[in-house]
Amino acid sequence: MAKQNKTNQLLLSGNEALAYGAWEAGLKVACAYPGTPSTEILETLAKFSEIDAQWSVNEKVAFEVAVGAAIGGVRSLFACKHVGLNVAMDPLMTASYTGVSGGFVVVVCDDPGMHSSQNEQDTRWVSIYSKLPMLEPSNPAEAREFVKEAFKISEKYDTPVLLRMTTRISHTKEDVVIDERVLPEQPEFTKNPAKYVMVPGHAYNRHIFVEKRLKELKKLSERTKFNKIEKGSGKIGFITSSVAYHYAKEIFPDASYLKIGMSYPFCDEKIKQFAKSVKKVYVIEELDPFLEEHIKALGVKFIAKDPSYQIGELSPELIDEITKGKVKKEVRTAKRKPRMCPGCPHWFTFSTLKKNNFFVAGDIGCYTLACLPPLEALHSCLCMGAGVTFHEGLKRGAKDGSKIVGVLGDSTFVHSGITGLINAVYNKAKGVIFILDNSTTAMTGGQQHPATGLTIRNELTKQLDLEAICRACGADNVDVIDPTNREEFEQIVQKRINSDELSVIISRHPCKLLKR
Amino acid sequence: MKDGVCNITFGGIGGQGTLTASEVCGWAAMFAGFHVKKSEVHGMAQRGGSVESHLRFGRKVFSPLVSSGQGDFLVCFHEEEHERLKTFLKPGGVDLFEWLAKGQSEIKDPRHINTYLVGVLSSYLPFDTDCWMKALEKVLKKKILEENKQVFIEARQASKK
Repeated sequence: MAKQNKTNQLLLSGNEALAYGAWEAGLKVACAYPGTPSTEILETLAKFSEIDAQWSVNEKVAFEVAVGAAIGGVRSLFACKHVGLNVAMDPLMTASYTGVSGGFVVVVCDDPGMHSSQNEQDTRWVSIYSKLPMLEPSNPAEAREFVKEAFKISEKYDTPVLLRMTTRISHTKEDVVIDERVLPEQPEFTKNPAKYVMVPGHAYNRHIFVEKRLKELKKLSERTKFNKIEKGSGKIGFITSSVAYHYAKEIFPDASYLKIGMSYPFCDEKIKQFAKSVKKVYVIEELDPFLEEHIKALGVKFIAKDPSYQIGELSPELIDEITKGKVKKEVRTAKRKPRMCPGCPHWFTFSTLKKNNFFVAGDIGCYTLACLPPLEALHSCLCMGAGVTFHEGLKRGAKDGSKIVGVLGDSTFVHSGITGLINAVYNKAKGVIFILDNSTTAMTGGQQHPATGLTIRNELTKQLDLEAICRACGADNVDVIDPTNREEFEQIVQKRINSDELSVIISRHPCKLLKR
Repeated sequence: MKDGVCNITFGGIGGQGTLTASEVCGWAAMFAGFHVKKSEVHGMAQRGGSVESHLRFGRKVFSPLVSSGQGDFLVCFHEEEHERLKTFLKPGGVDLFEWLAKGQSEIKDPRHINTYLVGVLSSYLPFDTDCWMKALEKVLKKKILEENKQVFIEARQASKK
């Protein structure tokens, strides 16, 4: 039948294939905070002893360590989920100005359909906003190929390169052939304040550079094989990108295609040339009208999806409906909802909180599932760290704040709860914050973090002492208690909720899924 | 197989070994020389929610998703999920659901049910036993490999009868 099986051929997910590609490209430093669907990128990279891989405290920290390594001279990579990039936006926007020395790739995994996320943002817009080039692989084999090219582009054009994946690409497995690792030559590390000290005078000159760089990148976008015209036999043509390309190929195998693999800067000339070569043009993309709005501005006539399809994932069936001009039907499926595992320590904590009829300001983690029946004991979830800060705001704003408490997990507290706690102390807030300490980053599959005392490779490191840091932040009371001791737990909760102080209750019991 | 592409949908709930089953089939298809695409869901689904995995193989595969009504095979480990995923099967497609109860009554360790159904499925697919053995070796931990190989071979033979 098909091709011969090769020994270096593996069945890899998009995340794994990307990691292998980065390894082949000589990647040296990689940083991330776990987040579905991006987590397996760092988990795979950590298996290569040649790579200095780390779980960082949060995405901003991860980004800064990784870009520092690139400026130090090696190839480095930062990986995150879409909302993780929001946390790293501050360094991202200015790293666009400083540029790099060794290659630097920013991998961002969007989650159309929100399989495991709090929103459905389309990160392609960040490329325009940050004036950075963006590559978009459409399958695992391309993830490997594109990341290798991304490092070359980064070094040649002195720029961080955005590489956008989606859940469907990150978590699709495909047969991929792996090559050898090749180390690039490492540039000299020298002082260069005009490039790396972003004070207004220097930054002005770097902005001039950024605009020039964009023009050069636009030329690259016109000639790169990643923006590829495939001549079909039919009269219709599709301008499409990412996994939507494969869905369209499934339904219209004979059509012509302009497959966009470098989504920014746009390849205007190629788009116009392609549009002229076919009778009817469809622009098909998942989520926002990113290509659509730009192509409209070029004056090219085309047919696009009804805005109702901007919500959720696409599929081959939906491509068929889109081309028939239909509006999206909302189909409710009888999918089983996830729930907290049997014996999960969160059940104990939340049964007490529910009994007391608290308003629970929640956060991101397994415990967010406490919002679902039968518990229905969690009442807000905004972003990482908000269990502390949103709680403070609610108490300041609500008519009667006496029944409001905040909860967040151990990993989430280290990610971005500590600054909120300092803020609460500094601004004399009162109340009770629960740190649900199950000693792992559970929702993403059980990754280490500073308070577990182990690194990404399960090597011993200094363990962050949660009690000590809460005290050092200035909390009036810090209790550590196992929520499965129900009576004792209830007593502490009563004592702290009825005092006019700022209390942290560390509800500590390990996750049931932890390997012992 | 439409355009020479074979479509298989796997379904179950978190913890039943649904993804392991599709993983073994994916590697076996690759060892047999096919282009493979297999989609799955992670994250929240681990928490007892629906787990669904689509496997497609052939000379050239585009979409990683099986379209509704295009499935050649349906492999389900849970009744509710079977109910939900039935729409994926094409008319005349093979539904292995009746093998679930049979497997449950025949195997000694209930954790082997996924391997049992993979064994049943294997008799319909154009891969040599060698490809399947290599796939099992690739995916399963050493400790449980031999017992699973045994279950696989028994199920493969049972379904050929």
